[in-house]
Amino acid sequence: MTAVLLVGTGEVAVRAARQLLDTPGLDRLFVAGRDEGRAREIADALGPTMEAVPWPAVGDDGVPHGTDAVAVAVPAGAALEWARRAVRAGVHAAVVADTDDDLGALLALDDDARRAGVTLAVGCGLVPGLGDVLARHAADILDRADEVHVARTGAAGPACVDALRRARHERALEWHDGAWHTSRKLGPLLVWFPDPVGARECEVAAAGASVLLQAVPGAGRVTVRVDEPPVRSPTRALVTRKPLDSGWGAARVEVWGWRGAERVPVVYGVVDRTAVAAGTVLGVTAARLAGLLPSIALRADPASGARGLGALVEPTPFLAELARRGVKAAKFEGVPVG
Amino acid sequence: MKAFRRGLLVAAMAVAAGVVVRLRAKGSVPSTSGGWRELEGPEFR
Repeated sequence: MTAVLLVGTGEVAVRAARQLLDTPGLDRLFVAGRDEGRAREIADALGPTMEAVPWPAVGDDGVPHGTDAVAVAVPAGAALEWARRAVRAGVHAAVVADTDDDLGALLALDDDARRAGVTLAVGCGLVPGLGDVLARHAADILDRADEVHVARTGAAGPACVDALRRARHERALEWHDGAWHTSRKLGPLLVWFPDPVGARECEVAAAGASVLLQAVPGAGRVTVRVDEPPVRSPTRALVTRKPLDSGWGAARVEVWGWRGAERVPVVYGVVDRTAVAAGTVLGVTAARLAGLLPSIALRADPASGARGLGALVEPTPFLAELARRGVKAAKFEGVPVG
Repeated sequence: MKAFRRGLLVAAMAVAAGVVVRLRAKGSVPSTSGGWRELEGPEFR
């Protein structure tokens, strides 16, 4: 019997639940939410394979017996606690995380996860997550990749909006010349995402840069840029004259490197409803960690430990599985601007 | 009191100028050259 525990009842968690239920071979999907009523509603709505389980008390592991993997889509703090619970229970986990502090704390569980023989996939959303896998895919088609720049726009719920806002106010981090540098904020850069998102002004942030470097460890320069969080209140949109959140999210990945004697860019983009993209990435990763979807090979050897998604999975079969589920990446052909 | 009034006047003028600039601004963005093509087939093998 294969069982997955889904932690969270927000927009990303619901999409991840749908993806997990669509995965052949899954026998049981447990769902735990701080709002237990909402968890029961989701379980009732999505069918008999799904079962709501109680939100654990402090000190309780909360991972039901027989669980093969945990998919975590809850805000910071709780996500870290659930990752620790999974490691203690000896169960693989895929975790959505948005801020630099959360990602750092999750990666710091590496030694514990290795000792427990557990794989901890850190950052399983749009960026960090899918953006890192696309960066790895782009680097693989070059002889040598030396610059990686990822940008992201869109947020999948209120917690995600908060995380994005924090990411833009935190110190910015940039990897160059073999060290992390706290870059001075020089203002936003216009970044072109696939339609219908188009051009957005994105600022350098720290969140996700460390897992991106894990994905392309030979890169001499690594940056992550984030757009302003979307405005979800019509009143606020009117006052600030900013567009109301359309629900779209996008990532743009630009990798520069060498093919023979020529230095060339590879530019990938992906656009979808933010919650759908993040939920699909989380669902597919958790399914793979539970032993389903064996066509997705793991590139990390040994697989145990805490690492970003780009360093964990082989990008080609992972992207093919996402495309089969409707989350399709695109390649930019032409002269990239921003 | 006189300084306070002057301060208020300056602040009001600054706000008015800001509103005019924001309302009259015509943001335009440079265009890219090229387009997006969905990844498919050989790129997934």
